[in-house]
Amino acid sequence: MELLLILAMNGLVFGLIVALIALGLSIIFGLLDIINVAHGDFFMVGTVLAWVIVTATGNYWAAFLIVPILGLLLGAVIERGILRPIEDSPALSIVAAFGLSLILQEGVRATFGATPKRILDPIGLTIPVLNLRYEVYRLFAAGIAVLAIAGFFLFLHHTKFGTWMRAVRQDREMATAMGVPANRVFVVTFALGTAMAMLGGVVAAPITSVEFRLGLDVLPLCFIAVIVGGLGNLPGTAAAAVLLAVMEGVITSFAAPTTARIVSLLLMSIVLLLRPQGLFAKAGR
Amino acid sequence: MNLTQEKDRQARARASAGAGYLLLAGGLIVLPWFIPNYQRVFAAEILVWGLFALSFAIVYGVGGMLSFAQAVFFGMGCWGFNFATYYLQLNTWGAIAAAILAAVLFAIPTGFLATRARQHHFLIVTVIISVLVHTVLASGHYRWVAGPYVTRAMTFVPEVPLGFTSLSFRSEFVSYYFTLALVALAVSAAWLIVNSPFGKALRAVRDNETRSSLIGLNVNRLRFLMFVAATAFAGLAGALYALVARYTDLEFFNWTYSGKAVVWAVVGGVHSLIGPFFGTAFYMIASEYLSQYFEQFVVVFGVILLIVIRYAPEGLWGLIVRQSVGRSRR
Repeated sequence: MELLLILAMNGLVFGLIVALIALGLSIIFGLLDIINVAHGDFFMVGTVLAWVIVTATGNYWAAFLIVPILGLLLGAVIERGILRPIEDSPALSIVAAFGLSLILQEGVRATFGATPKRILDPIGLTIPVLNLRYEVYRLFAAGIAVLAIAGFFLFLHHTKFGTWMRAVRQDREMATAMGVPANRVFVVTFALGTAMAMLGGVVAAPITSVEFRLGLDVLPLCFIAVIVGGLGNLPGTAAAAVLLAVMEGVITSFAAPTTARIVSLLLMSIVLLLRPQGLFAKAGR
Repeated sequence: MNLTQEKDRQARARASAGAGYLLLAGGLIVLPWFIPNYQRVFAAEILVWGLFALSFAIVYGVGGMLSFAQAVFFGMGCWGFNFATYYLQLNTWGAIAAAILAAVLFAIPTGFLATRARQHHFLIVTVIISVLVHTVLASGHYRWVAGPYVTRAMTFVPEVPLGFTSLSFRSEFVSYYFTLALVALAVSAAWLIVNSPFGKALRAVRDNETRSSLIGLNVNRLRFLMFVAATAFAGLAGALYALVARYTDLEFFNWTYSGKAVVWAVVGGVHSLIGPFFGTAFYMIASEYLSQYFEQFVVVFGVILLIVIRYAPEGLWGLIVRQSVGRSRR
């Protein structure tokens, strides 16, 4: 019983982090119409930068400040320099994103090394849960992810820029005709998406190992969340990420982790076949 | 330019292209006599991976489907080859046929699923198929699914019975020429497919799906058939790899290998049949000789990929063809 609870809670925490990353993937898809296959690597770069900052300054909390800003810059540069010139061809953009993913992975391997590293739990406290003890940091990580997700939705729905983003997504030409600076919206969207993935990386760094292949594990999870939640449906994506992770956690309590992953993958295939618009889409959308 | 001049120009372009291909074929035939033994095997491996890249280039370049599942079918080829060799005790021909069959049979349900999805969904479905297969095979809990035929080092030297005689892969020349012959056959088959009415219909679907379905093309069926046809090449490549390298690996199923096919094919050029081979050769030769000096050569190749996408979306081979045709025009 305790084990089930712990695994479900771990699933919830990880699901919230995945939700944060998958939201970034989803807004980039919604606006730029590309599946960013480098998104997992943005997350990976976030964890690596967190490790670098912890090692250099000894202060984990500094990473929370620095890494998202670096993410915004990196995202803006990538959108402007690499994706903008080929925006007319979504397929080529995806291949370009794959090239980017190679550069990030191998660049990290060349500089950071291939061996997985760990960041110590920055809080180091535990609280009792039934008869077991649960790390406070995980709860804190979940809190940060919730805050970031909530902040993102507030930004999207209650600021001028957020309204622009939704407008460009609905109808780019009409939005441009109304004076929305579509190009700026694209840069900011990609930068935001990148920063969210990298923030996810910072949050996740102390509870996973830090290595250059990390993105390859996270990207399929984000894909599943985005598909089950509905491509471009932001609340659906977040909900699906949490749901899947909790489900995997629960299944892991009585079966092998691989079985849990296979169940999610199969669930996604079924959703894709029966409800390609996503599990949470309103009828007639 | 009047009509006669235009026809003249086209004839000259065709002649120069023909001469170029003859030169290329001749070069490939005499190549092993000018390189040391281990490089003959290396050249054969380039041909094999090039064939793998070709299977992606057909799906993507002709069918417009950005598939990240080609590695699964390469892996299925390896599996089918091993299964036929060790379990069914077939000879090399039988094993090659089994490899192609395994890839195609696996492509029928997965392709049915994937080709129903469009654009971004298609990409995600292919990634998920790869992840699913790789997860199942890697877990160890499901060893009964694939048996001991996934990761395997060949314990004997393969032989190819020809009826009157038998070729042994002990000789690097056999490795190379056998691979070259089968790859040449595969490229011819690909040429026939791509230039058949079927290939033309598929290009129409790629360019405008709505219009194609309105003139009566069965879009889903065309996409499905092309997807399955392309996997036969990946399966053959898997079998040839098992023959040439005498080794197969679980990692061949990983979608990172599909990514390699994407990179090789796009850098070489997806709209020709030579391009994927060119891109693969470029990558493998460069990584073989540059990785001595710079270990993470792949970073450089990522940058090359971005530059090619930006400035030569037709690929390096396309660039060469354009340049040489441009020269013959003058």
